Amino acid sequence: MKNLMKLSVLGLLVVFLFSSCAKQPTQQIDEARAAIDAVVQAGGNIYAKEELKKLNDDLQAALDEVNAQSKKLFKKYGQAKEMLAKVKADAESVQALIPARKEEAKNAALAAMDEAKAAYEEARALLEKAPKGKGTKADIEAMKADLAGLESALNEVQAAIDAEDYFGAKDKALSIKEKAAAISEQVKAAIEKVKGRK
Amino acid sequence: MRKRIRALIVAVQISLILAGASCKTAPAPSEVQQALKQEQDLWRAGASVYAAEEYERYREDLKAARRFYEREELKIGFFRDYRRVKEEFSKILAEGERIRSLVESRKVSQQNEIRKFLEELYSRFELLNSLSLELSQRSFARNQLSQADVILRETERLLEKEEYDEARARVKTVEYLLNQAEDILRQQLGRYMDEEEIARWKKLAERAIEKSRSGNQLVILVSKLERKLTVYKGGIPIRTYDVGLGFNGLNDKLHAGDNATPEGEYKIIKKIAASQFGRALLINYPNEEDIKRFNEARKNGRLTPGSQIGGLIEIHGGGKDGLTRGCVALDDGEMEELFRMIPVGTPVTIVGTTDSNNKIVAILKKERK
Repeated sequence: MKNLMKLSVLGLLVVFLFSSCAKQPTQQIDEARAAIDAVVQAGGNIYAKEELKKLNDDLQAALDEVNAQSKKLFKKYGQAKEMLAKVKADAESVQALIPARKEEAKNAALAAMDEAKAAYEEARALLEKAPKGKGTKADIEAMKADLAGLESALNEVQAAIDAEDYFGAKDKALSIKEKAAAISEQVKAAIEKVKGRK
Repeated sequence: MRKRIRALIVAVQISLILAGASCKTAPAPSEVQQALKQEQDLWRAGASVYAAEEYERYREDLKAARRFYEREELKIGFFRDYRRVKEEFSKILAEGERIRSLVESRKVSQQNEIRKFLEELYSRFELLNSLSLELSQRSFARNQLSQADVILRETERLLEKEEYDEARARVKTVEYLLNQAEDILRQQLGRYMDEEEIARWKKLAERAIEKSRSGNQLVILVSKLERKLTVYKGGIPIRTYDVGLGFNGLNDKLHAGDNATPEGEYKIIKKIAASQFGRALLINYPNEEDIKRFNEARKNGRLTPGSQIGGLIEIHGGGKDGLTRGCVALDDGEMEELFRMIPVGTPVTIVGTTDSNNKIVAILKKERK
């Protein structure tokens, strides 16, 4: 009888140990979440979209595992902890990738801005050279006003770069380059028109 | 006894090996991996944006199916049954395909909506652009139009990248810039939409034609908006020439340096065979009415006390596609013809337009109501 009592107490102890003492890995959850937040803060939504999606999916899978275990009598959080640790490590790796990608985007935006500026300067130089005869005066005045509009747009490219909107800056710069090239073509056509008259 | 036990053990071992060999675990259904890949593809296609609710439900179903699959995986190979797993994942795949079509159709519909708006803006841009170019009112409106042109190009890039929210924002900016350009043009050209003003010009033109008819004499009528100079004789137009005007040619001249072309009734007071711009016919600007208007403007403070009324307004050569400081310019060959035809004293009437459905009305009335 005594032995039976001892065995029951021991059994209850074992059950208690397995069911209650296995705590949810809240610290690991917080750490994994913080690591993902850091990726977002670093610009992951822009520069590591796919990776960020995978991180969120992996975190969700780990949380599902925690949730599943929490409903069991014999809770085992080992696998969930491993998953969370992996999410954290992956997030740190992704975060480490972002500065290089950001730099790459910044360089591309700066290069596009330089190209746009060069195209703008070329159009301006052509306009300066264009013969301001009666036949071209109207065209030149219009193109000068067009260039003034491009100057405002160029300022917006710089503003976008300052605000770290590198993709937006690049798109705008490429559009300015196109427009400036179109103006250059118009100036050349105006010059040709004058030449043709002589 | 020992021999029997040994034989039994060997028999059990052999049957276990045989059982293992014949009951090989079936491979996991290919639908599982397909579904996982499909989920990634759907996300890449923008399902979380274009079919958010459906995609969320799909993900929940996928999660449940995965749990079911994992439970099945935990079973000993012999007891695994993937039939239901296959069934569940097939359903997921079918739903995924439905969502993919939904995403595509919603994307196309968004793109069409933006594209339609964009087309309207392109057409509006073209109209305002041509108006601005033709009317020489360039200093302000061209700046806005140039910026609008750049943003229209940006919008095309965003549409290519399927960034519809950004594209929509750009479209709004273009609309704002075009409104500004239109306001500027409207301020400058409002007179050409004013019925009373057009009626006044019509009267002036009719009087000029009547003068030509009654006296059977040559009369010059210049219509600034249409950029036409017509010579009438006996009330009938005998020659019409295309002309160029001042930088600010569509405005009525008020003072020296405003680069506007005067409006009113004048006459040729001098023929100049070799002016700076070839043949020239000098008109009697300022006439009495011009002087009266100038004095009133100075009196009510619209002009500074130092302002001058200006003069030396001519019909001259040099080319119709140039910009003058207020004169009316023709191509040299045509000017030569006109110069020979027109004697000193010929009446000259200059009006804004006589067409109440002129192009400014046509363009600006179509714009924002």
